[in-house]
Amino acid sequence: MSASKEQIHQDLQGILSNFQGRQYTAEIGLDTQFFGGLGLVSIDAVVLGETLENYYGTPIPFHEFLAELREEEVEDIEVGRLVEFLYHVLAADRYRHS
Amino acid sequence: MPRIDLDGIVTHYQQVGEGPDVVLMHAFTSNLAVWMLTGIVEALSRDFRVTLYDLRGHGMSTVVSEGYTSDELAHDYRRLHEALGLGPAFLVGHSYGGVIAMRVAHDQPELVRGVVLSDTYFPGLSHVEPDVEHAGPWTELRQTFLKAGVDLGATVDFTKLFQTVAELPDDQMKPVREAMGAAGARWISQMDQLAGTMAGREFFMEAGFDESSICAVRQPVIALYDEHSPFDATARFLRERLANCTVETVPDAKHLAPVQNSRAFVRLVRQHLCRLAGIEAGSPA
Repeated sequence: MSASKEQIHQDLQGILSNFQGRQYTAEIGLDTQFFGGLGLVSIDAVVLGETLENYYGTPIPFHEFLAELREEEVEDIEVGRLVEFLYHVLAADRYRHS
Repeated sequence: MPRIDLDGIVTHYQQVGEGPDVVLMHAFTSNLAVWMLTGIVEALSRDFRVTLYDLRGHGMSTVVSEGYTSDELAHDYRRLHEALGLGPAFLVGHSYGGVIAMRVAHDQPELVRGVVLSDTYFPGLSHVEPDVEHAGPWTELRQTFLKAGVDLGATVDFTKLFQTVAELPDDQMKPVREAMGAAGARWISQMDQLAGTMAGREFFMEAGFDESSICAVRQPVIALYDEHSPFDATARFLRERLANCTVETVPDAKHLAPVQNSRAFVRLVRQHLCRLAGIEAGSPA
């Protein structure tokens, strides 16, 4: 399947506004940070990878996303960064199945 | 999310790759995500079957009120080993995870091919590190919490720390999180689940794993101690007293090498495990 970046951002807003028992009522923007902003903890990143696979019904190489961040020594994850990553993964998935 | 019920302790684990078994054991107050974030899982799963799991009370595993000594956590590991049908494994333990790994190696040597320690402090070697209760990391943590108006005390007291994190209002915790940086903030934000448990006390118990037991481990031990480790004396002790121990230093790290210098840490672990397993290491991690 494929989706626009706007749609993916909306999907993430829905998933993250009530994730792992934590409710987040403020707006989740593209610059919202996972740990510093949403208050997620490290184990949530693992669960999020699995949640996204189930949501989109396709393998999401979340470890590649984390590896990119490590290479850049990024300490937190911005929602917009994940939107970009998912957009490319889902577009590639659509190409494979077309 | 794979979970397995080990006599009432529902344990969250992940398993990746094919080959000889490697099991990653995280530190006290950490969880298996630390390994996912360091890149060690991808680096090792090219040659090994890598299993990582959340200790009881940590991450997504069941929180229980007690049972956090190395004896009980080694029992949990044995049940996991059996339930997942693992072969004799290389155990990689960060900090307290290393105590559990060594305890399993001692108590059930047939389950363990070798051990990799990362900056491990052993309650059974407290005489080697007599100042640990007042060591630098705790003093730094105490100073940080003073910003929130809370004095954790001069002596290590994890029970008080857990309770403080669970009870402090968010606005008071904010300066603490900011002072600790992103990784530190992630670390303390998951401590509240251990509030009200015996974990803070039991973690420091020798629980029958004393100096003679530690020295009786015969499998190869790779002891990776951090350049700025508070546990230098333990590293020297292990080098001198274990039958088969290699000590190496991870540069630019202070007790948290897996996150503070992931690249060097992963490279060393992979290099040693490949050597011990008789695998050509191939391209560097």
